[in-house]
Amino acid sequence: MKKLLALLLAAALVLSMAACAKPQGTDDTTAPSDSGTETTQGAEAGKYTYTDSVVSLATNWNPHSYQTNDDAYPQNYIASGLYSFVFNDEHHPVEGFEPFTTYAVIPEMAAEEPVDVTEEIKASHPEFGIPESATSGFAYTIKLNPNATFDDGTPIKAVDYVESMKRLLDPRLLNYRAADYFGSADLSIVGAEQYYYSLTQTLYEKLAYADAEALMAEGKDVYIDVYAFWNASSEYTDAEGNALPQYVSVNDETVYGENMDDAFSGKMLITDYASYFADGSNPLYQALNNDNYNEDYASTYDSLVGCFASDEYEITLVLEKSLSGFYLLYALSSNWLVKTDLYDSCIKETEGVWSCNYNTSLETTCSYGPYKMSSYQADKAMHFVKNDAWYGWTDGQHVYTDPTDGKEYTMYQTTEIDTQKVTEAGTNKMMFLKGQLMTYGLQAEDMATYRNSEYCYSSPADTIFFLILNGHKESIGKREKDASFDQATTDLESMTLQSFRKAIAVSYDRELFAATVSPARSGAYAIIGNTYIYDPASGATYRETDAAKQVLCDFYGVDTSKYADLDAAVDSITGYDPELAKELFAEAFKEALEAGYVTDKDGDGICDQTVTIEYCMSEDSDFMTKTIDYLNEKMNEATEGTPYAGKIQFVKSAPYGNDWSNKIREGMSDTVLAGWTGARMNPFGLTDLYVNPSRAYDAKWFNPNQHELTINIDGKDLTMNLTEWSDALNGVVVNVDGVDYNFGDGQVDVETRVQILAAFEGTILGTYDYLPMLQDGSMFLLTQKAYYVVDDYNGLLERGGIQYLKYNYDDAEWASYVKEQGGELKY
Amino acid sequence: MLKYTLQRILYMLLVFFIITFMCFVLIRMLPPVPLPPGDPHTIVVEVRREALGYNKPYLVQFGIFLRNLFTSFDWGVSEKLYLGQDVLTIFLQKLPATMIVNAFAVVISIPLGVALGVFAALKRNTWIDYTISTLTMVVISVPSFVYAFVIQYLLCYKLGWFPFLMKAGTDWFSPSMIWSMMPAVFSLSFAVIASFTRTTRAELTEVLTSEFMLLARTKGLTKGQATVRHALRNCFVVVIPAIFGEFIGILAGSLIIEKIFSIPGVGGLTINAINAQDYPIFMLSTCFYTAIGLASALVIDISYGFIDPRIRMGSKK
Repeated sequence: MKKLLALLLAAALVLSMAACAKPQGTDDTTAPSDSGTETTQGAEAGKYTYTDSVVSLATNWNPHSYQTNDDAYPQNYIASGLYSFVFNDEHHPVEGFEPFTTYAVIPEMAAEEPVDVTEEIKASHPEFGIPESATSGFAYTIKLNPNATFDDGTPIKAVDYVESMKRLLDPRLLNYRAADYFGSADLSIVGAEQYYYSLTQTLYEKLAYADAEALMAEGKDVYIDVYAFWNASSEYTDAEGNALPQYVSVNDETVYGENMDDAFSGKMLITDYASYFADGSNPLYQALNNDNYNEDYASTYDSLVGCFASDEYEITLVLEKSLSGFYLLYALSSNWLVKTDLYDSCIKETEGVWSCNYNTSLETTCSYGPYKMSSYQADKAMHFVKNDAWYGWTDGQHVYTDPTDGKEYTMYQTTEIDTQKVTEAGTNKMMFLKGQLMTYGLQAEDMATYRNSEYCYSSPADTIFFLILNGHKESIGKREKDASFDQATTDLESMTLQSFRKAIAVSYDRELFAATVSPARSGAYAIIGNTYIYDPASGATYRETDAAKQVLCDFYGVDTSKYADLDAAVDSITGYDPELAKELFAEAFKEALEAGYVTDKDGDGICDQTVTIEYCMSEDSDFMTKTIDYLNEKMNEATEGTPYAGKIQFVKSAPYGNDWSNKIREGMSDTVLAGWTGARMNPFGLTDLYVNPSRAYDAKWFNPNQHELTINIDGKDLTMNLTEWSDALNGVVVNVDGVDYNFGDGQVDVETRVQILAAFEGTILGTYDYLPMLQDGSMFLLTQKAYYVVDDYNGLLERGGIQYLKYNYDDAEWASYVKEQGGELKY
Repeated sequence: MLKYTLQRILYMLLVFFIITFMCFVLIRMLPPVPLPPGDPHTIVVEVRREALGYNKPYLVQFGIFLRNLFTSFDWGVSEKLYLGQDVLTIFLQKLPATMIVNAFAVVISIPLGVALGVFAALKRNTWIDYTISTLTMVVISVPSFVYAFVIQYLLCYKLGWFPFLMKAGTDWFSPSMIWSMMPAVFSLSFAVIASFTRTTRAELTEVLTSEFMLLARTKGLTKGQATVRHALRNCFVVVIPAIFGEFIGILAGSLIIEKIFSIPGVGGLTINAINAQDYPIFMLSTCFYTAIGLASALVIDISYGFIDPRIRMGSKK
């Protein structure tokens, strides 16, 4: 025993000493690393390493199955689209624009612009079902870049695209990204959906209970998973001995399990246990089409799917719905291409379930972009080096003229990219200040120190965060009737009054709110954010249009005649009017008293109840605390001297996790800061978010089909409901009084579309279901090692990304520079 | 002893099975993470869940899980975090980083902790003892991630002695890798050092006041001889099992420390798997931790019998 202990101790001491021993060849200021993030070790002259950090490192960058932006990260470097966007300059001139003020489209993996072959395909391939009336926009041939290769030098031909599409839509693999090429996707390929679901016998879609009722009312069948809900099994039988299926229709009165204690029928379950389905925890299912089942699916691709090779270096795409111009090129700026032999070697089948681990490790990754992966360690780091086989190094297209020095440079000066997982913001900041990272995203506490730094950049984001206000009277009524609810002291119904909602809307100074809770963001006043570009040709944003400005002035009651121009009028909007708020609260109190929502038993003019507005949290955080504290503080100021003085209170909900949106939609929680992000180049598509009942937060208490809007189009008043306006704006033909209307892209001039969008936005603002509060945005510091060729933010290209990043120092010079600065940089 | 050990192993397997079953059912009872309303991928996700059998009764799912496990040791492929990848491979890739960092922490901590404990016990009721005991209590009371931030700020940022993060790669025993692990190792070590200091001091103090120590001294042994030959041996009846426990516990890892120093270990894997509802990874992690916990309890119990011959495990006499 003594010897054993002695040995253990000795071993421990030796290992301890070894661990504490300083490795050879290091100095005091650095540590050895292969990761490329250190500032003096391994720094090479002529090498420009972009050192990046991510909170979550990609684990699956398969273009067919990635699910998150984190996972898409490597695609930015190792893949190229058929077309790409670059800044306009003398190499890519755009008429009427100064260099670097707009974008140009260049064929990337394609050789030239797509050619519309709608008429030809309609005649030669009637099986694709192009509408008889269509003359353009449904079929294109795309000549491919003959110099494009995979990183091992294998040429990329048309067959690679077709075979890649076949794998993307493989009905066995059920790839997540397949849905990007059919259904509601912009680039919706003929036959893709049918092929994809050709091995799926039954599809089920989750439904909220109310939707189920609506569907049942329409005669559609809704199912319950009785294996999960009733804990039943196939041992349950009906009177004739037929085994119980897993899904039973709610209209089915067949009783299963009569010889058991818990016999049931579908009809009985939906009747007796309605409340169990109402909260969404027990989903209902709708049977969808399942007529496509086809075991011989593999042979049907060619006759079914509109993606085929029309030449060795040419593909033809046939589309379900027309797409043209900018939006076609934009849709083709991403790519579905994979290296099929490698892909096939990554496919695995277990128990009839197919999966593919292509692009999940170094060995399973293949590049055809400017960089290729050179190392990868899951949850730790990834490294990219230049892909020498990329055509772009020599094609003469990937060059630009620096607006500062007028010289010509090749894009992608960065020679290597080193990306590490760094989860803590504090660590990120320290590494950045030590020169080990290229950027640092500013946190709230950094704003005061760095927001005026010459290295600080601000980037607007697409999302508008609005406060959604509960208006679900039925749900609120039910909550008030709950035994635990004290109606003598608490009220919820006041918040459904329009005057009350208006009062809340004008109680908050948006800019002050942003500065207090999230300084990188700014105040918001509209439903559609300021990054959305309505005219891709000019890059002009929707918010810059007169129609969009006027609708804000109208909504916030700004008298434009008092200002020099619309810009000045819009600039005057704060959304904050404490005097009006007090008037509106007084008005709301009267209405609430009359409606019996609240009482004033002692006649002191002060509401007896506290209007308690539950803030719906997914999870608690400092941001939530700051937000609710601000809302309460300013609400107390706004209600001072009114009947609601001190009687309106925002309270945190329990953390609802991912269920938060259901709680809001069902009126079970009262408010939340939430928003939508749409396609930045298509603000018109955002209208669907407010009329589509499966998307709109207020679908349970606001019916857009019953809300009519009249707009003067070409001198003639046209009235439609909001859903019809949204549909017409997005390319659907809507018939009004026997006349067809379609205000989709290319159908009418863009100004008319903007006019409709602005009127639509004004109407949605007027519901006071959505109170705009924050325009999303971020601020970051860029390293002194490099700079962007373009300082101004561009809605499409931002600041050009790594393509246009220019270096002040190579790695060796940078290491020396950091050392000269004492190892810590000042920003 | 053998019978007792076998009996304990059988109990252990039973408990393991029950815990596995409970975890399996509970995690699958969680509703799936909903996609945003109207997301076109909703149907894809639902169809895939159907194909994976997640809509089957839980008992059927558990049966399939056990069958795959016993017939081919197949833990399945990841469905969310590492889509399509074999979860056992992922887990085994992550285990070394956790083990090595924690092993270094234990290897550094135990000699220091025991030495400090012995020193405090020998100097009991002096200012040295009070200082060590007070510091021990303070260190035990502060969570290890606090040290991690302090160490990262002072040693990595201000002094620049160490890199901020553990080095990338799998050259686990290269000098540069070991050097890069040190901030994490130090962060983990404080609590272990304090724990061993406290245990050793308490045990040794008790032993040193025993009558047989007086006898040893009256036999003519010096204080040092009596302490090493008699007192330490007796106090190690408690300390050695704790050492075994620490060594087994190194497999478990530390979520926070791994996050701060970017250690690609197993610590965060389970939490991420629960959040993402990646069932196969969650089950493998859970089974692993359960097995480690049960095994360490068994080893600690049995080790008493080996360390101190007077202890007879399972004896009814």
